[in-house]
Amino acid sequence: MTLLLVLLFVLTAVAGTGVVLSRDPRRQVLAMSANGLILALLFFALQAPDVAYSELVVGTAALPVLYLVVLASIRAGRTRE
Amino acid sequence: MTPRLRLVLLALALACIAPALPAVIGALPVFGSHPLPYGDIINRLAPAERHVTNMVSAVNFDYRGFDTLGEEMMLFVAVTGTAVLLRGTRGEAITALPATVPGRQIPPHSEALVLTARWFAPVTILFGIYVVLHATVTPGGGFQGGVIIASGLLLLYLGEGYAGWRRFMRNGPLDAIEGGGAAAYALAGFGPMLVGAQYLQNVLPLGSMKLLLSGGLMVVVNASVAFAVAGGFGILFVEFLEETRAEDPTQ
Repeated sequence: MTLLLVLLFVLTAVAGTGVVLSRDPRRQVLAMSANGLILALLFFALQAPDVAYSELVVGTAALPVLYLVVLASIRAGRTRE
Repeated sequence: MTPRLRLVLLALALACIAPALPAVIGALPVFGSHPLPYGDIINRLAPAERHVTNMVSAVNFDYRGFDTLGEEMMLFVAVTGTAVLLRGTRGEAITALPATVPGRQIPPHSEALVLTARWFAPVTILFGIYVVLHATVTPGGGFQGGVIIASGLLLLYLGEGYAGWRRFMRNGPLDAIEGGGAAAYALAGFGPMLVGAQYLQNVLPLGSMKLLLSGGLMVVVNASVAFAVAGGFGILFVEFLEETRAEDPTQ
């Protein structure tokens, strides 16, 4: 195991803990996005570039955007019968 | 559930799991080892049998193509369900007005954001198309390329604003791209049956290795996955973002 992998594993653990410990939903979404970015780097370092592509886009961009949109939608408080 | 009860549950669970933990960790394969033979067999066989250099695509779109059909349908059903749920309660009308929260102003679009998004959106979409086209040659494929294209669509939203974005993110074409891709995958499986082969059997000419059109049926299947994924994520973004719009007063 190289130093790079050790570093990325530690970063993954730190970022994952950060997601769990952040209580404000908006911050949690951003923490999750950062965790996704680190996971993508980890997959890339583990020579799985196709998984890294998927994680990078889905975990770092698509999913956080959907969460942010949901939070915005809740805040805007569209009323429905 | 009170915090005390939760802690008791945690202690109980730990008491059950903890004694076995060292044994399980000790029995794990060494880091980086791959004890199962499947990967090595594919690496040895796929280049000769299918003329491709990306073994992941060979597994996804050919050797286990039927499994990918199942995943494709999962995505299709998930996106359809989201669209039905959200459109069902909201209606199909499109409003250009953003919903507002009392006491909070909507900040104007910053020029730096618009410029950055306009620079990166076309490049991102182009890169997505590149990843799709090189599915059988380099890492990546229909799904990866499709989601990269979809993230380029998000950048377009950041650059152009909602109204401008919706001018080309139309419901009809997006639905057609998503549904057409999923249908093309399922139908591509029936093609080989017309000549007496099995469902999804790779009967097309395989082409020469390292060329874009290598892999036979994989090229067709990969393209349909790319359309379904890019369209599906596009629909998701549109349906979710439409939820942040103000309700149409005429409705």
